[in-house]
Amino acid sequence: MSESKEKQVSRRTYLQVAGGTIAGLVVGGALGYLAKPTELVTEVTTVTRSLTETVTVTGTAPPPPPALPGAGVSERALAGAKQLVASGAVPAGATIKLLHVAGSKNNFEPFFADWEANTGTKVEVVTLGGEPDVYTKAFAEATAKTGAFDIITIFSTWKGDAIESGLAKDLEDYYRKYNPEYGSQYPDTTPIEPLGDYTTMYKGRHYAVDLDADVFTLTYRKDLLANPDYASQFKSKFGYDLNVPDTWEQVKDVSKFFTELDLKASDGEKVYGGYFYADAGWAAFTTWLCIFVSKGGILFSPTDMKAMINTQEGIDATQVMADLAPYMHPDALSMDWASLYKRYTEGKAVLTMAWPSLIKWAQDPETSQVVDKSGSALAPGSKVTVGGKEILLKAANNPVNWIGIVSSFSKYPELGYLFWQWITSPVVGADSVSRVGIMDIFRECWFRPPYRETFEKAYTPQFLDVFADCIAHSFPDLMIKGSSEYLDKLTKNVNAACVKAKTARAAMDDTAKDWEAITDRLGRDAQLDAWKSFIPLYPSDVQDVWKAKGYLS
Amino acid sequence: MMKTTNRLTQWVGKTESFKKLSTLPLSLVLNFVLIVPFAIMIFLSFTRWEPLSGYDWWHAPIAGIPRFVEAFGDARLLWALIRTTIFVAVVLPVEFLLGLGMALLFLGDFRGKKGFTSVILYPMMMPWVVVGLGFYLMFQFFGPVNLLLLRPLLGEGAVIDWFTNPVLAFVVVIIADVWQWTPLMFLIIYAGLAAVPKRLIEAAEVLGASSVRILRTVRLPLIKSLVVVALIIRALEAFKVFDIVYIMTGGGPGVNSTEVISLYVYNLAIVYHNTSYACAVSLLIMIAIALVTRLAIRPLEVRAE
Repeated sequence: MSESKEKQVSRRTYLQVAGGTIAGLVVGGALGYLAKPTELVTEVTTVTRSLTETVTVTGTAPPPPPALPGAGVSERALAGAKQLVASGAVPAGATIKLLHVAGSKNNFEPFFADWEANTGTKVEVVTLGGEPDVYTKAFAEATAKTGAFDIITIFSTWKGDAIESGLAKDLEDYYRKYNPEYGSQYPDTTPIEPLGDYTTMYKGRHYAVDLDADVFTLTYRKDLLANPDYASQFKSKFGYDLNVPDTWEQVKDVSKFFTELDLKASDGEKVYGGYFYADAGWAAFTTWLCIFVSKGGILFSPTDMKAMINTQEGIDATQVMADLAPYMHPDALSMDWASLYKRYTEGKAVLTMAWPSLIKWAQDPETSQVVDKSGSALAPGSKVTVGGKEILLKAANNPVNWIGIVSSFSKYPELGYLFWQWITSPVVGADSVSRVGIMDIFRECWFRPPYRETFEKAYTPQFLDVFADCIAHSFPDLMIKGSSEYLDKLTKNVNAACVKAKTARAAMDDTAKDWEAITDRLGRDAQLDAWKSFIPLYPSDVQDVWKAKGYLS
Repeated sequence: MMKTTNRLTQWVGKTESFKKLSTLPLSLVLNFVLIVPFAIMIFLSFTRWEPLSGYDWWHAPIAGIPRFVEAFGDARLLWALIRTTIFVAVVLPVEFLLGLGMALLFLGDFRGKKGFTSVILYPMMMPWVVVGLGFYLMFQFFGPVNLLLLRPLLGEGAVIDWFTNPVLAFVVVIIADVWQWTPLMFLIIYAGLAAVPKRLIEAAEVLGASSVRILRTVRLPLIKSLVVVALIIRALEAFKVFDIVYIMTGGGPGVNSTEVISLYVYNLAIVYHNTSYACAVSLLIMIAIALVTRLAIRPLEVRAE
C-alpha cells in the first residue's frame, strides 16, 4: 500500500465526512422540525393565547364569581378541594407533586397528613439540591411540559421568566373563586403589603401565592457589641462608640475590629467581624443591592433602560464590599448561602445580614451556639447629600422571597392552588412558617395576638418589632424578564471585585456592558415598561434621592 | 412442509437480511433515542428561540447561519474553550503518567496486590458529584487540606483560600479529576502491559536491555493502540467535564474564571434561557471534537490497513 493510496483514501474519507456532516445538518434540521409534538400544538397554542388575553383584559375583568362559603382562607381551600373530589374533577387519592428545594421540607411536610385527612387527596414533596437545581428543573419543565410537578416553590426573581415561559399558571380565577384574602380590604389577614402584591402579581394578574417575606435584616452578636472591654478598645481605636452599625463605613470598622481581635469560637476556630454574602454562586448581589440603593443608586434609567450600575454609587458599593472582604469569614466569598447560617450559629461571625429565617436558626437550641445572643436591626445605610443636606439613607432589599406557583402543565391545577391557599392561610401558615425552615413571616396578622406569641418564640420579640421597620424601608428584588441573567452577571462581577480579580470600576463597567446586551436581546421597550412598574415600589425616601440626583423626574 | 422449514432454516443461517432484520428493533429504538433529540438540537441551532419567547420551539423563526457566526465572535466561548483545552492538556498526561507508573508498580508481585488493586479502582466508581463535593469540602479555608496538611507542615499562617483564587480553584478541579480518573488509565495500561508476552521481555533482558529501555522499546510500542484508545476516551470525557466544576466553583471565583465549555453551554441554555444559541455552540463543539477525534484515531486506521 503506497502512501499516495493512503492519502487518497484519507481524502475520500474526509470528503465523505464533510459531505455527510452538511447533509446531516440539513436532514437533522428538517427532522428536528418534523419532530415537533403535533398533538401538542393545539393545546399549547391555547395556553399562549390565554396569556395574551390575560394582558389584554386587565382592567375590564368580568365580575368575580361568588366566593366559596367558608369562615376563613383555610376552610375555603379545604371546602374547594372536597368539592373537586366530590364532583369527580379530581379523583379521590390523587397526588399533587410539589417541587421544592432540599433541606427545608419542614415548612410543608408535617402538614401533608392533615391535608390528606381533610380532602382525600395527597401531596408529595420532591426536593432538589440547591436553588439553582430547582431553577434548572423548573425551566426544563417549561420546555418539556411533562406535568411532572403540579406546584413549585420559586424565587420571586424567577417569576417573570416563569410566566413568560408559560410555566406559571394564571391564578386570577382561583383567587376570585376561593378568595385567599389578599389586599388592603383584608387588613386582618392579608400578606404584608406591598410585598404580597409585587411578589405574586405580574401585569396586573396573580400568578403565585406568597410563601415568604424575605427582607434582609442586620443580625449581630449583642453580647459582643455590649462587652465593655471591647467597647473601650473600639473607641480608642476608631474614636467613636461601639454600637450597632448605622452605616456601611461603620460596618467595615466593626468587622475589622473584631477580626483583628482574634476571638475564638467554641471549636477553636477564629471569629470574624463580618459575614456578608459575596459568593459567585448567586448571593453576592443581595449585599451589593442593599449598599447600592442606600447610596442612592438606581439599576436602570427610567427613561431608556440604560444600565446605571457603573455610576459612582455602583462603584462605591462594590468598593465597600471589596474593602469588607478581608474582615469577613472566608466562606463568604466561596460558599453558598447556607454557610452563613452555619457559621453565624457556630458563633464565627459578629455582624451579618441575611433573611429573617437566620434568627429562627440562631434561636434553635438544637443547632445554635448563639441562642439569645443575637440582636436584629435595619440594614445599615449610607450618608447621601440631598439639596445640600446630608441624610442617612437606609434601604433593605427583599431578595428571593419564595413564592408558590401552579404549573400550567399540571393535571390538577385547581387542587394545587387550593393546597397553596391552605398551607399559607393565616391559621395553618402560622404553624408552618414559624417552624425552622426557609419560609418567613409574611402576614400582617402574625405580628399581632393571637399569633404573635408563636412567632415571638420563633424569632424573638425584638426581631418582630425591627422587621416591621425593615419592611417599611424595603424594596423589591429585580423581577423583570431575564432577572436571573442580569443578577448572575452582577453577582459574578461583584465577587470578582471582592477576590481582587477586578477593580470595582472594571467590575461595574463589565456588568453594565453585559446588562446592555441582555436588554437589547430581550427587547428594550418591554424591559423598560417592566422596570418602570417597579420604581414606585421603592421606599419614598429612596425615590426622593433619585429625584434629587436627577435620575427620576 | 419439511421443504419450507429447510428453506427457512437455510435463509436464517445464511442470509445477511435476517441478521439485519433481527437487529432492527434495537436499531430503531437506539436511532430514535439518538436521532430525535439530536435532530431537534440541529433545528434549534438554526433558529432564534428561547423558552421566554412566548411561543413553542417548533414555531421559532429561522435565524440561519448568524447564530454560528455569533459563536465565532463570542469571547466567553473562546475562553471557555481555552480553559477546557488547558484542562484536557493537563489532566491527560498527568493521568497517563500516574496510571503508567502505577501499572508498572503493579506488574511485580507484592503482598496485598489484589486488595490494593480494588482500592485503587474505587474513585472511578464514585459519582462525579460526590467527588466534586468531597474535594470542595476538603479544600475549603477551614477544610482538612488546610488544617490537617498545610498548617501542621508549614505553620499557622500557611492556609490557602483555594476557591477565591482563579488559578488555585482550577488546580483543585484538576486534582479532583486526576484523583478520580487515574485509575482508568491504570486499569487499561495495566491490562495491556500484563498481556505483553513474557518471552519478549526475557529476550530483551538477555540482550542486556535496561528496564527503561525495555519499557520504551518493547512494552510501550506493543500497547500503543491500547494507550491511544485510552487517551481518546479520557480526552473526550475530560472535554465534557461539568459536574466537578459546577459543584466546586460554579465557574467562579469572579467572572467565569473556571468556566469550561459544558458549564458555559449549561449557563446559556438553563440560566440565560438562550437555548438556540446553546444548541449552535454545542453543534460547533461537537463538530470540532469529531474532527479532532478523527485525526487522533487516524494512526490506528493506517496500521489496521
